[in-house]
Amino acid sequence: MDHYHAGIMVGLAAGIVAGLIFVAFLFRKKVLDCHFDERQELARGKAFQYGFFTLLISTYAYGTSDVVFGRWCDALAGVTICLAVSLCVFAVTCILKDAYLSLREKPRVVMTMFALLSALNLGFGVMHVLHGELVEDGVLTFRAVNPIIGLATLVILIVYIVNHLLRSREEEAE
Amino acid sequence: MKNLRLKAARAALDMSQQQLADAVGVSRQTINAIEKGDYNPTIKLCTAICRCLGKTLDELFWEG
Repeated sequence: MDHYHAGIMVGLAAGIVAGLIFVAFLFRKKVLDCHFDERQELARGKAFQYGFFTLLISTYAYGTSDVVFGRWCDALAGVTICLAVSLCVFAVTCILKDAYLSLREKPRVVMTMFALLSALNLGFGVMHVLHGELVEDGVLTFRAVNPIIGLATLVILIVYIVNHLLRSREEEAE
Repeated sequence: MKNLRLKAARAALDMSQQQLADAVGVSRQTINAIEKGDYNPTIKLCTAICRCLGKTLDELFWEG
């Protein structure tokens, strides 16, 4: 393994460790929480099922596209796209069934975090585009991981906000 | 089918959906879904709601 690839590996590992520490910190501070009621558990189970099957189908579709069209993206970018699509399906189903946030989570705090995460990752994506690193020789590079995650969090954020506004209007009408 | 008896019992105690939800440890949306008839609660949640509103299971949930 040369220095370039070793650097990428170390960078990825550091990112994952930092992410895990940050999530653990959020759980410790009770910003994130996993206490759901029985209806939410049921809805999340269904959403998990949809997400799981989406992951199976998207992974297979990615593998097939690689065989049919040739290499069009790095494996890491491809896997991230499959994960992002599955996570979006899971999250959107949960949101539509009012089962995304737990009983103790504060919507404003969690959604602000999502907005920051989205802005940060999309910002990195724009930086990569400006440096011409996102697509090299017609292949989507592993650097697309940031904008893909940014886009996924943005979709979740938008669906949450739109659903919240529509529900508020419905409840006012009732 | 809408559970109007639950809604009436809650309103009689001047309780909001959120107050009832907090008292029985579920989300406000879950109470809303039960009242609208979109969710069929477990017996455990039914008894918790009955205890909180001072009603029997028959009075709130039996469709005779």
